[in-house]
Amino acid sequence: MLRALGGASLGLLALASPASAAIAPDVAHSPNAEDMRVAYWVMLIVGSVVILGLIGGLLVAVRRFRTTGHGDEPRRLTAGSGIIAKAAGGLSVLVLAVFIFGVAVSSGVRDATAEEGTEEIDVKAIGQQWLWRFEYPAQAEGSFSEGISTIFSYSELVVPVDTKVNLSIDSTDVIHTWFVPALGPQVWAVPGEVTETSFIADEEGLYTGSSTVYSGSSYPTMRSIVKVVSADEYEDYIAGLNASIQAGQSAVQESAPGGEESE
Amino acid sequence: MVPPTIAERRPEVVTRGVASGRTSWATSATSADHKEVAKLFIGTSLTFLAVAVLAFVLTRVHLITPDSTIFRLELFSRISTASMTAITVLFAVPFALGILGYVVPLQVGARGVALPRLNQLAYWLYAAGTLCFFVSFLYTVPESGLSPLPPLSDDVYSPQHGIDAWIAGVGLATLGFVCWAINMVATLKNMRAPGMAWRRAPVLASAARVISYIVLVTGPAMVAALTMLAIDRNFGGVFFDAGEGGEPMLFAHLSWLYFTGIHTIMVVFALAVISEIVPTFSRKPLFSHSAVTTSLIAVGVLGTLAWMQNLYASPIGEGFTFFAMLMGLSLLVPIGLIYAVWTLTMWEGAISTRAPLALSIASAIALALGLGGQWMTSVVGSGLLLENTVAAQQDTILVIVGFVLAGFAGLHYWLPKMTGRTVADGPAKAAAALILASASVYGLAMFFAGLASQPVDASRYFAGDGVGTLNLIATIASVFLLIGVFIELANLIRSYGAGRPAGHDPWRGSTLEWFALSPPPAHNFDAVPDVRSPEPLRDIREAIREREATFVPPEPLAASSPPEVGVPDPGDDAGMSEKAVETDAPTADPEDIVSGEAADGSDSDEESSDEVEPADEAQPEEGRAAADEPHEGSELDTDDSGESGDGSSVS
Repeated sequence: MLRALGGASLGLLALASPASAAIAPDVAHSPNAEDMRVAYWVMLIVGSVVILGLIGGLLVAVRRFRTTGHGDEPRRLTAGSGIIAKAAGGLSVLVLAVFIFGVAVSSGVRDATAEEGTEEIDVKAIGQQWLWRFEYPAQAEGSFSEGISTIFSYSELVVPVDTKVNLSIDSTDVIHTWFVPALGPQVWAVPGEVTETSFIADEEGLYTGSSTVYSGSSYPTMRSIVKVVSADEYEDYIAGLNASIQAGQSAVQESAPGGEESE
Repeated sequence: MVPPTIAERRPEVVTRGVASGRTSWATSATSADHKEVAKLFIGTSLTFLAVAVLAFVLTRVHLITPDSTIFRLELFSRISTASMTAITVLFAVPFALGILGYVVPLQVGARGVALPRLNQLAYWLYAAGTLCFFVSFLYTVPESGLSPLPPLSDDVYSPQHGIDAWIAGVGLATLGFVCWAINMVATLKNMRAPGMAWRRAPVLASAARVISYIVLVTGPAMVAALTMLAIDRNFGGVFFDAGEGGEPMLFAHLSWLYFTGIHTIMVVFALAVISEIVPTFSRKPLFSHSAVTTSLIAVGVLGTLAWMQNLYASPIGEGFTFFAMLMGLSLLVPIGLIYAVWTLTMWEGAISTRAPLALSIASAIALALGLGGQWMTSVVGSGLLLENTVAAQQDTILVIVGFVLAGFAGLHYWLPKMTGRTVADGPAKAAAALILASASVYGLAMFFAGLASQPVDASRYFAGDGVGTLNLIATIASVFLLIGVFIELANLIRSYGAGRPAGHDPWRGSTLEWFALSPPPAHNFDAVPDVRSPEPLRDIREAIREREATFVPPEPLAASSPPEVGVPDPGDDAGMSEKAVETDAPTADPEDIVSGEAADGSDSDEESSDEVEPADEAQPEEGRAAADEPHEGSELDTDDSGESGDGSSVS
């Protein structure tokens, strides 16, 4: 029976094997995402060995000592406390080693380590049902007195390549998750608490991910999208944002003498 | 001087034949007998297993294609919330409490429980909770997922009353669990059989103690969180309102403490049930009883303390995530030890692969896969990659599947005690293979989908996400999972009417529940034996065997013949009479080998058994050593251990 059971599960696992090309997560494009891949691969291998060890021992024992009918009472093996202590000691050493590895590989995983001289930009990412708002306060032209404190965009974060992007993550309504697997860890956006994370994208392209905390009925559309562009394109993009907000501001000021911001 | 084997007949009151004035369902509903209450727990929770699996497959059917529009977005969330709440709060915990509530008092030789009315209240609070939750289907179903985190569950973002129904349902059920735990702790503390020190207590009783304390720690925390949420929603409270100085993370911590506690309860229960079944079906004692019971305590403590594993991505300090990582990683030590003890117990055993063992092995495999996956993601770095994706969810689902399989194994093992009838082996083995195989395929497919960062609880994914095939495979596998669960449920139900009579001790078990009749009478035992090892019933059998070998019937008692050994009992379900005791092999002469006293009040410290050390001239030194130091070597490790329990009596 158990042999059939094992065979059946192996066979069904083999059926799923076309998917096994997907055993690797997305390629990392930020140093902290690289650390997460290292943690993943090490734990995948160590964990698989542990699982196989646990299951293998049981299956071997069942296969070797299976009997039918009521034979003699088997020998009652004695448990020297030694073997249990040794097993506990061995497992503890393994756990300790994995823990030290885990601390080493996970320390500061929210923060990408930048090389000397890497440029940095600060962006506020603010979650709301069901899209992200990105503010670039330092890139805003014009002053607070003109009614412009920041420039902003929705949905898609555009950043330059090879630049450290410091994200301050916040939420205006419910809990969301900022998560772009290729660019770093997931981070909760909790209202009232600003969480810092950063990444350094090493290649231009479009990187996506999903929020992973249920946030209401349209939660599947709550995506984190990052477009990494060259420095020049980024300059143009910021200039475009500034121009559009200036245009909007003047339009508002012309139509409403009170000068309220209506964006 | 050979002691008389058959005690003199004494007058006794036999209650058989006194008709009850109530119908059977009214008796069940109003009885404070722990066995009736436990049967209600088991029956109700199995109903919600069926509901939860059906709802789970409905959500999988919805996810069979990208951009699915089978259900509206809200409807999907409602079904998924119902499925997750039903499988954890309405099935897993009460099911474990039901099996434990039935078996553990019998195992420790108690004639009842310490606080029977509280135990009964526990069930009815739970029943009221299930009613509150499912009545909400008539107006608005909650749709906030397993744990409705504020601010989403505040009245601003969830103005419908579905969340209130969820709060009431989970809160009442949890209160019930807490009542149950208080009763179980009091019972285990005060009502163990004479001589049953903790080191001789059965593994399941140790697990019941661990589970009770987990409930006592995490349950009130959850009730507090739910109360705060209810105040926030209905009475203008600001506990979780960040804008007013509240803290949304507080609810996240408290609710995850609770759900991690439930997860730990499932693991402890499954490990304990398998640890009961493996020795019985290997015809050997557990390789190390103390290693298993100590490990169960460690699993309970470490598993519950690892609750922040679910919060790696939240704004908590890095130190806290490392603490949770250490707790999660450390779980490998006790769980690995338990697996090692199982393997060593079966080694050189005479293994009979009946349904309870087959289901146990399937459960052990599913648990290893699920817990192994969780162990991998408990490292912060890999956790932040996989946490809250379907890859982490499938680990949890594999653990739940392991729990369900262990629960089925437990039912196969103990239903003959509860109903007096055996459950068929064939369908159970087929169901075990089907459930394990389909859960593995589901797990593998969802693991890959999680690597492609498909999030949990999402009602749809998009064609460009590249997870369409994986979700198709997972959906097909979940249908087979459903078929497997329903085959086994039908098999269990069928045994009520069609099962063969099992007798009092169908598996030659070694713990005290097999000393009682099947089904046990209201008072469980007429007489409670002294316990000298973790295998009291084996000691009794050995004593009988030894006496039969040497016994010469004394003249005056020649009229009554000595009891036969090994003759299956027809399953007499009458009240415990002296006749019934005599025909039941293990209890052949209760007057001689058991204590006539109930376990009441005795704290059963180990000295009590040493005082009544048998006056056996054959090997007094060895006998004393074996009784004093059961931790040295496996308890009762010799073939001549039958000397204990021989000829002594405490009156």
